[in-house]
Amino acid sequence: MKSVNTSIRQSFGATLFKLAKTNKNIYVVDADLKSSLYLSEFAKVFPKRFIEVGVAENNAASVAAGLAKTGKTVFLTSFSCFSPAINWAVIRQSICYNNSNVKIIGSHSGLMSGSLGATHQMLEDIALMQVLPNMEVFSPADAIETAKIVSAVSRSPKPSYIRLVRPDTPAFFPPKLSFTIGKSQILTKGNITLLFHGPIGHLAFNLSNTKENSLEIINCSSIKPLDSKTILKSIKKTGKLIVLEDHQKIGGLGQAVSSLLLENKLAPRFIHLAVDNQFGRSSKDYSKLYDHYGIGIKALKLAVKKLN
Amino acid sequence: MALSTSDLKKLSWQLRADLLDMVYQNDGHLGGPLSSLDILNTIYFSDIFKFSKKSPKPTDDNFILSAGHLATALYVVLAHKLYFDKKKLATFSHFKSILEGHVSTTVPGVSYSSGSLGQGLSFAAGLALGNLLDKKNKFTLCLTSDGEHQEGQTWEAAMFASKYKLKNLINIVDHNKYQIDGSLEDIMPLDDLAQKYISFGWTVKEVDGHDYKKLLKIFQISKLSNYPTCIIAHTTFAKGVSFAHFDYKYHDLKNLDPTLYQLAKNEISKHLN
Repeated sequence: MKSVNTSIRQSFGATLFKLAKTNKNIYVVDADLKSSLYLSEFAKVFPKRFIEVGVAENNAASVAAGLAKTGKTVFLTSFSCFSPAINWAVIRQSICYNNSNVKIIGSHSGLMSGSLGATHQMLEDIALMQVLPNMEVFSPADAIETAKIVSAVSRSPKPSYIRLVRPDTPAFFPPKLSFTIGKSQILTKGNITLLFHGPIGHLAFNLSNTKENSLEIINCSSIKPLDSKTILKSIKKTGKLIVLEDHQKIGGLGQAVSSLLLENKLAPRFIHLAVDNQFGRSSKDYSKLYDHYGIGIKALKLAVKKLN
Repeated sequence: MALSTSDLKKLSWQLRADLLDMVYQNDGHLGGPLSSLDILNTIYFSDIFKFSKKSPKPTDDNFILSAGHLATALYVVLAHKLYFDKKKLATFSHFKSILEGHVSTTVPGVSYSSGSLGQGLSFAAGLALGNLLDKKNKFTLCLTSDGEHQEGQTWEAAMFASKYKLKNLINIVDHNKYQIDGSLEDIMPLDDLAQKYISFGWTVKEVDGHDYKKLLKIFQISKLSNYPTCIIAHTTFAKGVSFAHFDYKYHDLKNLDPTLYQLAKNEISKHLN
């Protein structure tokens, strides 16, 4: 199945711009990455609602929280290797402990950052964010779902983190499907449960659903709150589980699901495809990185074979 | 009715007495809270800024305590403001008390929970910017400690406030020259703090942080600035308890010797009559 590549970042910028036209409470606090996050038009049309903080992510996080205190919905925009990586303790206190209406947008997550190398391939963001009380964590599958998630969080007063990626990625989220905070979507029915978050899911989605590759693909874009009901129901049925994510194994979706399984006395055959305790490295083509770190199409096919 | 200078002075000793009791009974910070008390007293009990009696109102000016360990001082002030029952001071840091060990929004009148240093000025700047954009005629006051100026984020905030011309932002630095492990001079000197803020584009005023007449005047002037204002209040560490003056070990108390407590209490009581 061939799909069109679209930009998650562009979708974010365009969606926020559209929302800001009617929702005058939407503000952006940006740490010098406006063009990369497609916010130039927002800044031009709504200059008073676009606050440029410069390369100062700690200050940005507290400023965003203070601004939110005056009744605004604030989007804090940067790359995830800077925000929430540099400013984690500030997010913990200023945003989470103070329960501020701030939406943290972290682009350039995962090995997908490709040529930029290890410093910019943020593989620990989900771990950092899901551990914080009050924080909600989302990882959209593609540009279509990004628009839905950004709209949904703009209507919620809670702090949240949305994980974005650098390259254009295949559009595979069914446009008619809706996104609800705390719900995952079953994209295909099958004999092996496959959980994923983010654009890496297209690898599974593109595997033709044959007798050998019978996957029950579940999009876990709402990592926290996690849709434990849907996930457990599927695993109870299949008894086989693959978790696929462009993130560290430690602290990612796979670990969150593992504890869920143990708490519910489930022990499916389980393969977790994630980056295992390593830093990334440069490659113009991220699929080479996916293969190298064991989260690419080859590893996925092998995992399916093992579980069959 | 605003309190006169002599009334404020008188009240400050009652506040000190209550603070000492609270910290003696429950342990907690002492040196910084005592040095910053006259500043807080001026903010809340003069009529320069708007802080409603009995319960805080949305139209009040904003106060942000960046140095969350000064909570004991703020709690005593807010109790005297009648924002909550003064009896609750005895429950400081107890399980299920509203009075958390570091400043918390669980206390009526507190709008920012803090404890990790260096973040409050940024939060205050965001708040001030929001009010400015909404054309709200409100001041945002922030109380920082001198020690927390070693945190880089404070200077990120200083840059930011200057860029956005936050004339409604007033940062008061409780410059008592001590921090948890010693003097600032030994740990990490701030050198010329005033010059630093001036070079960041702020209006800077220096004042004796225990002189009510001067504090009142400085606060009045700071409302007229076209730039963010930094008031460097030179204070005495543990002001009012002579044996603890200039002794960093009294940054916080744990099991204070009863005879020392009595000594401190007697010294404060002298001012109450």
